[in-house]
Amino acid sequence: MKWTATAGRVKGTVMDEDAIRRSLTRIAHEIVERNKGADGLVLVGIVRKGDILAQRLAGAILELEGSTVPFGRINPSRHRDDLHIRPVADSSDVSELPEIDDRIVVLVDDVIWHGRTIRAAMDALIELGRPRSIQLAVLVDRGHRELPIRPDYVGKNVATSVDEMIYVCLKEFENLDRVVVIK
Amino acid sequence: MAIVSRLRHVIESQQFSRALLEELFARSEEIKREPHRFMGRLNGQVMAALFYEPSTRTRLSFEAAMIRLGGQGMGTDNAREFSSAAKGETLEDSIRIVSGYADVIVLRHNEQGAAKRAAAVSSVPVINAGDGPGQHPTQALLDIYTIKDELNRVDGIRIAMVGDLANGRTVRSLTYLLSKFKDIKIWFVAPPVVAMRDDLKAHLDEHHVPWVETEDLESVLPEVDVVYMTRIQKERFSDPAAYEAVKGVFRIDKSSLALMRKYSIVMHPLPRVDEIAQEVDDDPRAAYFRQARNGLHVRMALLDYLLS
Repeated sequence: MKWTATAGRVKGTVMDEDAIRRSLTRIAHEIVERNKGADGLVLVGIVRKGDILAQRLAGAILELEGSTVPFGRINPSRHRDDLHIRPVADSSDVSELPEIDDRIVVLVDDVIWHGRTIRAAMDALIELGRPRSIQLAVLVDRGHRELPIRPDYVGKNVATSVDEMIYVCLKEFENLDRVVVIK
Repeated sequence: MAIVSRLRHVIESQQFSRALLEELFARSEEIKREPHRFMGRLNGQVMAALFYEPSTRTRLSFEAAMIRLGGQGMGTDNAREFSSAAKGETLEDSIRIVSGYADVIVLRHNEQGAAKRAAAVSSVPVINAGDGPGQHPTQALLDIYTIKDELNRVDGIRIAMVGDLANGRTVRSLTYLLSKFKDIKIWFVAPPVVAMRDDLKAHLDEHHVPWVETEDLESVLPEVDVVYMTRIQKERFSDPAAYEAVKGVFRIDKSSLALMRKYSIVMHPLPRVDEIAQEVDDDPRAAYFRQARNGLHVRMALLDYLLS
């Protein structure tokens, strides 16, 4: 098995391929249920893994509802709060958004931790339009929030210690779907 | 921080506080994720499994749990027929003897209240692994853990319990545990002859848990997140005609799946007879085999909690 962008030892698996698929189906259902349909919805994934998940959620909603939900991707790098420490190195992952004005935007990311990426993504989003509302869907919530941000849809809550990392492997990058804990 | 009083014996679901449940589930999750870290935790400890009623999975699951933690298991499968009970020894005497040999006793008995009687005289922790139509608290633990694992929440769950609700100790234990969570709604789907008993309905009313009783499974399926199927327990019917009249009334098959929500789950404490068609097994919503597997991790967490 090949791990990219990871260091340390894999301690264990928290979600396998089936669990990821079931979670995404459930989240797709919850999104439709909570918004009373798919009208006016836009799914926006945070690069580089959230956009893959946004695409999969759009597929799940299509299967459930028969409605096509537009999806896009957003790169929050320029809005990070640590730019003075870590300048943006790679700007190749550009944002590509459908119309978001007056839409219900569901931001999608693989893991929520401190909440800072989500804050930056909301700033990046608002710079490009004025959504009616923003909701948040994540595959894994690992806790340790540093900002008052809480996801509306969660695949799995995973209790972690600060020295552990949650790594979401997706077929598009690692040739398999799996969520692992790394220490 | 809340002070969680430690449990010594595990007799009934009502003993578990929400805080203790969270603690046990967190430990189960850790064990599931990193089993090697728990190897040898119970080195040198011995578990006695006393089964006065037949069981395969509960007993094997407890034994596997003990062995995986480094302890050892011993026991008797047919305590009623082959042990000293057959010679007339009381349960209390058997427990007094066995608690001198083992560090924990796992007891399954055909009489309701047996585990409580055993705990009263045992010098080591007693775990109730089913007492007649009474309770089966470790099954309820793994059931709640499975709901949490599959749906990422227990609060707000809508659940249908289907089948033999009068004799089904798993549904009794599960109902008691569910009443500790918020915004639960329960549908009891059973033939009137094996309907949920009044004591539990009164318990739910006391805890403001809304429940509905019906025989119309089809109308319930689209409403719920969890369909908890149970077997009609032939062995608890004194009249074979009464059993024949209600067996196979409620069944989950492909056409039931079509009525269910796409993310809902089907659970079953197993063994199943024909309540769930085999064609359901391949559907991602069929959670019963994952549920059985969770039993191992939850029982490991419980043994670890009681003994280490």
